Amino acid sequence: MTWWEVLVQQTINGLTRGAVFALIALGYTMVYGIIELINFAHGDVFMLGLFISLAWFTLLGVTRTLTAWQLVTVLPLVFVLTMLSTAVLNVAIDRAAYRPLRRSPRLAPLITAIGVSFMLENVALLWKGPAPIAYPDVFPSVDILRDWFGVDSAIFVTTKDVLVVAATVPLMLALQWFVTRTTWGKAMRATAQDRETAAAMGINVERTIVLTFFLGGALAGAAGLIQGMYYNIGQWWMGYQAGLRAFTAAVLGGIGNMPGAALGGLFIGFLSAWSDQYISARWTNALVFSILILVLVFRPHGLLGERTADKV
Amino acid sequence: MSARRTLLVAAVVAYPFVDRALGLQTVHAVSDGMIYVLLALGLNIVVGYAGLLDLGYAAFFAIGAYAMGLLNSPVVGSPLYGHPWSFWLCIWVAAAVSALLGLVIGAPTLRVRGDYLAIITLGFGEIIPVAIRNLGDITIEIGGWRPIERLNLTGGENGVNPVGRPYLPGVPFETDPVPWYFLILVIGALSLWAMSRLRDSRLGRAWMAIREDETAADCTGVNPISTKLLAFALGAWFSGFAGSVYAAKLQAITPGAFEFQVSIMLLCMVVLGGAGSLGGVILGGMLITLFDRVVLTQTTSFVRAVGRATGFPALAAVDLTLWRWFFFGLGLVVVMLVRPQGLAGRRVGPVAVPDDDDEVALADAAPAPRVEAIPAWLRERARPDGAPTPAALLEVRGLSKAFGGVVALSEVGLVIPPGAIVGLIGPNGAGKTTFFNVVTGLLRPDTGRIAFAGASLVGLRPNAIVARGIARTFQSIRLFPQLTALDNVLVGQHCRLTAGVAGNVFRPPAVVAEERRARERARDLLAFVGLGTKEAEAARNLAYGDQRRLEIARALATEPRLLLLDEPSAGMNPRETETLTELIGLLRRELGLAVLLIEHHMEVVMGISDRITVLDHGVRIAEGPPREIQRDPTVIEAYLGSGYEQDVAVTDR
Repeated sequence: MTWWEVLVQQTINGLTRGAVFALIALGYTMVYGIIELINFAHGDVFMLGLFISLAWFTLLGVTRTLTAWQLVTVLPLVFVLTMLSTAVLNVAIDRAAYRPLRRSPRLAPLITAIGVSFMLENVALLWKGPAPIAYPDVFPSVDILRDWFGVDSAIFVTTKDVLVVAATVPLMLALQWFVTRTTWGKAMRATAQDRETAAAMGINVERTIVLTFFLGGALAGAAGLIQGMYYNIGQWWMGYQAGLRAFTAAVLGGIGNMPGAALGGLFIGFLSAWSDQYISARWTNALVFSILILVLVFRPHGLLGERTADKV
Repeated sequence: MSARRTLLVAAVVAYPFVDRALGLQTVHAVSDGMIYVLLALGLNIVVGYAGLLDLGYAAFFAIGAYAMGLLNSPVVGSPLYGHPWSFWLCIWVAAAVSALLGLVIGAPTLRVRGDYLAIITLGFGEIIPVAIRNLGDITIEIGGWRPIERLNLTGGENGVNPVGRPYLPGVPFETDPVPWYFLILVIGALSLWAMSRLRDSRLGRAWMAIREDETAADCTGVNPISTKLLAFALGAWFSGFAGSVYAAKLQAITPGAFEFQVSIMLLCMVVLGGAGSLGGVILGGMLITLFDRVVLTQTTSFVRAVGRATGFPALAAVDLTLWRWFFFGLGLVVVMLVRPQGLAGRRVGPVAVPDDDDEVALADAAPAPRVEAIPAWLRERARPDGAPTPAALLEVRGLSKAFGGVVALSEVGLVIPPGAIVGLIGPNGAGKTTFFNVVTGLLRPDTGRIAFAGASLVGLRPNAIVARGIARTFQSIRLFPQLTALDNVLVGQHCRLTAGVAGNVFRPPAVVAEERRARERARDLLAFVGLGTKEAEAARNLAYGDQRRLEIARALATEPRLLLLDEPSAGMNPRETETLTELIGLLRRELGLAVLLIEHHMEVVMGISDRITVLDHGVRIAEGPPREIQRDPTVIEAYLGSGYEQDVAVTDR
C-alpha cells in the first residue's frame, strides 16, 4: 500500500468508528443537556445493545448472512426491537437510580451512574461469560471497489462501511428533526435551558426527561447493533471504553450540543484510527484521554464554543 | 485514653496472636484490607473533606507502588535501577512522588469544577496504567534512526518482580505475615493520626469550606487553588505509603492492579462508610474487604454445598465471586439512594422550622447588641496604628462592567472615607451587586480603578482582597451549611492564621496558641452578634435572622477595615431590622469600621448612612448625604417613587 492508500483506508476506518461514537455521544449530550448528569452507564447500554440485538437475531432464527429479502424485513425489525429494548432499559435506569436524586447534590447521581455501569457490565459478564462473543456475520460483506466497480485497489471498502453511514446519518437527521421541529423536541430544548421555567410554562418535565432517556437509549441500541454487525465481536467491558471515547466526543463538541456531539464523534473516530496507524494502538487510549483533559481544562464548552440554542 | 479506646488498641494488638492460636490464618487478608483502608482514607481527604470527586485515585496507588518497585527491586531492567534502595527510604520517596503527581493532576482543578473534574481524574487514572504498560518497551524511531531501542522503564505488562522487602534485624518479614500486619498497622495509625489533626485544623476547615461553597470560601479569605491542590497532594501522599507497602508485601506489581475498578472500589469504601468521617471510612473499607475476601467465597462454597445436597446442579456451580462488581455497583446505588451520608456519616438533621410563636421568636432571636460585648481584640485592631489616615479608604473611579451587550456598570465612581457608612441604593438590576462583585474580585472590571488604602485591587483574587481588609456578606445568605456556627466564624479567621501543613500536624506551641486565640475570637464574635449559645449548631439549622448575623460575624472574623453588606435586612422582621441597624452603627462608632451597604429598607439606609450613592441601569445618578438624596428629583423618578417625599415628611416628624 502506498502512503495515501493507507491514509484513505484509515480515514474510512475512522469514519465508521466515528459514526458509532457519534450515536453514543448523542445520548451523553442529550442527557447532560437536560439534567446535567454524566450518564456513566450509557456506554454499557450501548454494550448491552450489541448483546440484545444478538439475542433478537437468535430469537428470529438468524444465524448466518441475511438474504436480500431479509435485509429489508428482518434487519429493520431487529433495529426497531433493539432500539426499543435499550430505550426502555435506559428509562428504567433513570427511574430507578437517577430520578430519586433529582434534588440531591450533583455528584450523587454521578456516583449511582457509576454503580449502574458496574451492574450492567456484570450482568453482561454473567450472561455471556468473560470471553469475547462471536457475533454472526449477518450483514453481507461485499468488496465494493473490486466486485462492483472492478477497480483493483489496495483500499478496502465494503457494504458494511456503507451500512454504518447509511444507518447513522438518517438516525441523526431524524433526531435533529425531532428536536428542532416537533412540540416534544421544543419541550426538550426548553427543559434543557431552564427546568423550572419550563415546568412553570406547563411542560411536563419528568415526561420530557423520560423522553430524553428513551431517545438516548434507542440511539445507543442502534449503535450496539451496528457495532456488532460491523466487527462481529463483542465483550462485556467494551461499553466502558466506547463510552469514554463517546463522552470525549460529546465534550469535544461542547456537551449539550447535538451537532457538536456528532462532529466530535467523527473527530474521535478519525483520531483513534490515525493514532492506531501512525503512533501505536497501545497509546491511542492515552491520546484520547489527554485530549479529553485538555479540552475540559482549556475549552470546557467544547471546540464549537457555547451554542446554548442547540443545547438539549 | 478512654476505656473503650484502650480496649480497641488491645484488641488490634492482640488480634494476630489470637488468630495464630486459633489457626484462622486471616492475618494476611486483614493486612491487605488495611492497605486498602489506608488508600480509602487518603481518598477521603479529596472526596470527603474537600468535596472533589476523584475517579482516578488508583493512579496514585500505582505511582506509590511503582516508586517502591523500581527503586527497591534487584532486577536489572534499565540503567535507572539495579541497585535496590532500602524500603525505609523508598516509602518516603514514594509518598513524595505521589504527592508531586497529586499536584500535577490537581492543577487542572484551578479551572474545572464538579463532574468535569471527576472526568479529568478518571482520564489520568486511565492514562497512568496505559503509560506503565507501554513504558516497558520503548522504541523511538525517527526515519530509520533509533535513539532509544527497547528500553524497559517499568517492566511493562509483566510488571516488576521481585520487589525488595523491608529489613529490620531479627524480624522475619520473609516468612511471617504478623510483622507485616504490625508494619501496616503502625503506618496506618500514624497516617490516621495525621489525618485527624489535619481535619481539626485551619486546613481542614478550609477544605470543608471549599466543599460547602467555593465562592463563599473565596470571599471569606480561603484560597481555593492552594487549598484544593493541598487536598490532592496530601491525599496522594498517603496513597504513596499504601502503594509502596503494597508492592513490598506482594513482592510483585503488575499494571492490572491499578485499573479503574480499584478507584471505584476505594470510592465505594468512602461512600459506604460516610465521606468525611474517618471512623466511617475505616468501617466501610473493612466491610468491603471482608465482603470481597470472605463473604463472597464463603457464601459460594455454602451455596455449592446446598446445591450438591439438594441435587440442583445450577446451585452447585455458582460462583458468587464473579458477582463482586455487581455487588459493588449495587452498593453504590443503594447507599446513595437510601443513606447518602454513609453508614457512619453524621445524620444531617432537618432544617429547623421557624417558630410560629412570634413573641417567643422575637424575644429570642434578636438580642440587642451591646457596646460591652464588642470583642476587645477587635477594638485593638481598629485603633489607628499611627500611619497617616488616607482621605479615602476605598476609591473607585470610572468602573465599567458589561455582560455581553448588557452594561451592568458604566463609569461608576464611589469614595468611602475611613469609618464612614455609605449606602448604595437603586432599583433592581441597577448594578449594585455587580458593583460588590467587582470590588470583591469575583468579577473583573472592563475598565476603571479600584484602590483600597491607596493600593489597587484590580486583578486580585477574592481571597487576596479579603486579606487586604475587605469583607462581605451575600444577598442570598451563603454560609457553610454543614459546618457549625463556630467553624463558620473560624473560617473567617483563616487568612489571619499562618499554620502550614506540618504545623497543623505536629502542632508546635505557636500553632496551638494561634488556634486557641482564633477560637477565643470566634466565640467573642458569636457572643457579640447574639449567637453565643448556638456555636455547636450546624449553620443550616439556624433561624433565618441568626444566619444573617452569623454571616456578619464570619465577615468580622476576617478582621476587615471595610465591610460590604448586601441587603443585610432582607427578610428580617422590624425588630430584627432595628437590632441590625444598631449593630452596624455600633461597628462604625466603636471600631471605626467603614461600611458599604446595599439596602432596600429606606429607614435603615437613610438612618445610618453618611452618604448615599444611587445607581440606575449601571449609571450613578446621584451622590450625596441622605437628606439631599431624598429630595433629588432624579432619584425620586428612578427609584423612590413620587409618593416618597410625602412619606419622608411623615416619618420626619
